[in-house]
Parts: sequence; structure tokens; C-alpha cells
Amino acid sequence: TPRPCSAPLHRGVPGRSRPAAGAGGAARPVPGRRKMAAPMELFCWAGGWGLPSVDPDCLAVLTYARFTGAPLKVHRVTSPWRSPSGHLPALRTRDEGIISKPQQIITHLRKQKYNADYDLSATQSADTLAFVSLLEEKLLPVLIHTFWVDAKNYVEHTRKWYAETIPFPLNFFLPNAMHKRHLERLQLMWGDDYMEDEEKLEKELYREARECLTLLSQRLGSQKFFFGDSPASLDALVFSRLAPLMKAKLPNGKLQQHLKSLQNLCNYCTSILSLYFPWDGGDPLTGAPRAAGTDGTEAEEDPHKRRKQLLSVLVGLAAMLGYAFLSGIVSIQRGSVGPAGRQPVTLEEEEEEEEE
Amino acid sequence: MQLFCLQAFLQMCNLPIRVICRANAEYMSPSGKVPFIHVGNQVVSELGPIVQFVKAKGHSLSDGLDEVQKAEMKAYMELVNNMLLTAELYLQWCDDVTVEEITHPRYGSPYPWPLNRILSYQKQWEVRRKMKAIGWAGKTLEQVLEDVDQCCHALSQRLGTQPYFFNKQPTELDALVFGHLFTILTTQLITDELSEKVKNYSNLTAFCRRIEQQYFEGHEKDSSTIATRSSKRSLLR
Repeated sequence: TPRPCSAPLHRGVPGRSRPAAGAGGAARPVPGRRKMAAPMELFCWAGGWGLPSVDPDCLAVLTYARFTGAPLKVHRVTSPWRSPSGHLPALRTRDEGIISKPQQIITHLRKQKYNADYDLSATQSADTLAFVSLLEEKLLPVLIHTFWVDAKNYVEHTRKWYAETIPFPLNFFLPNAMHKRHLERLQLMWGDDYMEDEEKLEKELYREARECLTLLSQRLGSQKFFFGDSPASLDALVFSRLAPLMKAKLPNGKLQQHLKSLQNLCNYCTSILSLYFPWDGGDPLTGAPRAAGTDGTEAEEDPHKRRKQLLSVLVGLAAMLGYAFLSGIVSIQRGSVGPAGRQPVTLEEEEEEEEE
Repeated sequence: MQLFCLQAFLQMCNLPIRVICRANAEYMSPSGKVPFIHVGNQVVSELGPIVQFVKAKGHSLSDGLDEVQKAEMKAYMELVNNMLLTAELYLQWCDDVTVEEITHPRYGSPYPWPLNRILSYQKQWEVRRKMKAIGWAGKTLEQVLEDVDQCCHALSQRLGTQPYFFNKQPTELDALVFGHLFTILTTQLITDELSEKVKNYSNLTAFCRRIEQQYFEGHEKDSSTIATRSSKRSLLR
């Protein structure tokens, strides 16, 4: 396994050295370096399918933060209600309140001197803008369709995962609400005739998405990252869109198959995962909690299960006792020892009568 | 505005065209969008499919590009569509002043009252919904202009001092950029902020002028009235 220290990092301000990302350095400020106010807190969807977060936007922000070594306290939550703004991802900053849109979060990090694009030339920055447009216009909508609108994928994979992860009672209606929201957004973007005609959708839009993947593969070539040896914001975005597609086990996976046929993109995703997310590459069950924010209450499922079991046993006991008291089978009487001694006998008799 | 892109593209391919304006063009088009071309007994609409159609007939401007350049070209075309087209739509339909004074009268001009108001309100509502879906509804005019500036900056960087975006030959990207920038530079709006943003980049204005001179000057006599907007348009004033 590659050592975390070898992961290239980008810093906007030269001279500030930090421990490598992941070794607690990204989660807590370096002690003794400078007096920092409370670090920024990021709320994002929990991880799954081998990824640190299942939502592309959350993943983009997380990856960017890892690339730049920004000190973020990451809360992996299982429902948007736990986020301060009600949406995920959300960044709680020191001075500017709560920022919710992924692009704005990245801009904010950039302003705080965590800039992954510091070393890019002007042409490369222009290329970044162009490729981001390509990703967002051609690939992201089709990705949303694959995960949330395609009937088989949604029912058997996406909804199942979200229903299992989101706590009661939100898990009954939140996945459906998200599905409706995504469907409506796609309808507005694509127009009704695409949504109704499955074949046309498949032929044209999926074809363009596959073309987009091929273009990305051609642009990446055999380089380590899109602009040389250090990662930039474009890498964070591309990774966040490709990784869920690569890792999720989709029943209807035509787009996925095309991605898997582009070997350099698969290697690219795997290397970023192993370099920057060596700990949370696994499921929440097996991954060790890194920051104070991700203590056992949210990320681990085991304590939850045990707690639920304990709760159900207690509730059962309380119900039985309550019934016993209310119906008079068992009653507490303050009296001498004699009459009290006869109580158990009458209790037994009554119980025998009831059983018969 | 797509009309200029298309005209530039077809003229770059050396294909003769005749431009005809109709009020019900959107209904005549097979996909509901303009512009569309009518060739023989085939009708093809929207820039993307038209380019494919022309390519299938054997005319293509981007054959000389290698794979990486083709990828970049597609990405930049997407950027232009994403930023510039959406910004133009935003200005036309979401900026209240422009909507009242320019867009409503112009869009409804072929129709009698009250149909003109109804149709333009309908279109406005449709565009606003779409803006909301892609996240532009919350943007202010300043933010939109900022985005346009960023886009022009990127295009200017990419163009540099070359005559065209890729080598010495024009490609689909050149036609697309020309169409959008020409529209921005020559459309009369309430404020000139948008065209000022573009004019900040001298290589972009020089690029537009060059293409206009090369491909449009000689063909003006062939085509009928090009647009129903302002009077004689030219960058060479």
C-alpha cells in the first residue's frame, strides 16, 4: 500500500507544510503551528460502495479538500436533516455562515488559500472551465438518470441503499422525494420528449455520455492527473463523477461497462482512492473513525443495532410489567411480612387460572 | 443567435445557403427549436444534428485534429453553449428591464394582441423554470456577467494570437464562438455591459471581425434579410 506521505498535495501559500492528508492532519489543525479558530466543518453523505461518500457533489468537495490538505472536520451523516442547512454537502465556515453549493464551497476553500489550481497556466485554467462544462452538461445528467431515474437501478440499488442508511422514519419518504426531485430536474433540462421516449434517450443522451467518457480518457492519456503530476480541481470533479459509476454495483450498467472498458480512467480512480482515501475506501463498518465528528453515533452501524435491540427488549419488559400492574396480576402492597408472604401464592394461583 | 453560428459554419464548409425568416419557424422545426435547415426532402434542426448531418454528407471541418484536440474542441463548445447561451437566455428572459422593453415586444411582434402577450409570458415562464433547474435562477445580473467574463477570458486564453482556435483552419468551434460573440456585440440591449465584457478581449473582437470579413462580406448579396432585430449589422462601423 502506498504511504500517505507520498500523496502530492497542493498548497496556495508556499512554506506552510502539513502532515500528509488522512493521517489526522486533514481532520485536526496541526498543533503548535498557529492559533486557529475552530476548523471548518463539512457535512456530507455517508460512504458506501467502497467510497468515502456516495453523493457526487459531496465526493467532489471531499476530494478537493484532500488534494489541498484543507483542515476540515468531516461529519458523515445519513440524512440531510442533520446538516445545518438542510442540504448536503454543507460547509460551516468560521466567518461566512453556511455554504451549500459545491462550487461555492470550493471557491471558499480557494479564498482561504487552499488552492489546487495555483500552479496551472492560463491555458490550463481555460481548459478546466471547458472540461467542467462538458462534465456537467453531458455526463452528470446521464449519471443522475442512471442512478435515480432508471427503473431497475433505482429500485434495486439506489433506493435500497438510501432506505437502509437513512434513519427511521425518514427512510420511508426521503428516497422517493429525492427521486422525484431528480426526475423533475432532468425533465426540465431535457424536455419531455426525451423522458417519454426511452429509445431516443438511450440512443442520443447515453451515446453522448459515453462519448464524453471517451473524450476524458483521451485527454487524460497516460498522465497521472489531468495537468501533470499534481491534482487540480478538475481532477476532483472528474473523480467524483466517475468513482460512483465505477464502484456501484448497478444491475443495469451499460454506461458502467463503457467506463470499465476505458482502462486509464479506472486506474486513475483507483489510484486517487488509494492515495487520498486509504482509510475510508471501505464500508463504514470496516473503516476506522478518523475525526471526533465521526464518532460511533452516526457512522458505525453495530452500536446502532445493539442499541435498537436493547431498546426493544426494554420496551418489551416495560410493556409486560405495565400490563401486569394495571391488570392486577402483580401489585405492590405495603403491609406485614405475613400477608406479603401469601401474595406469591395467590399470584401463582391466579396465573394458573389464567393459563387454563 | 444560433443562426450566425450555423451560417458561419456552412460558409466555412463552402456550402451555399439561403436564409428565410418565418414567424412560425419554431413550429415548422421537427424538434421545436430553431434554426433548422431544409435540404432536398430532409429537415434537420439544431446545430449539433446539423453538423452531424453535414459531416455524414462528407463535409467536416475537424478532420485534421488529433484525438486530444477533438476532446478539447468538444469541451470548449460545451463551455460556450453552457455559459454564453444560458447567459444570453438569462438576459433576454430573466432580467426584468430587458424583458419588458425588448423581449416581450420582439417575441410577440408577429402576433395580434392578446396572443403576443400570452405567448411571450408562456415562453418566459418556461425559460425561468429551466433556469431554476440548472441553478441559474438565484443568480444576479452581476454574477451572470461575471460568468460571461470568465468564459470570454478562457476563450481568449485559448485563442491567444492564433487566427483560429485550432491551427490555421477554422473548425466548428470557431463558427460557434463567432455566432455567439457576434450576437452579443451587435444586439442592442438596454445596457452595453455584456458587449463591453466581450470588447475587453481584443483578440476576440479581432477574431469576429476577421471571420465576418472573410465569410460574410461577399455573401451578403445572396442572402435575404438576416435578422429581425436592429438595422444593418456590422462590426466595421
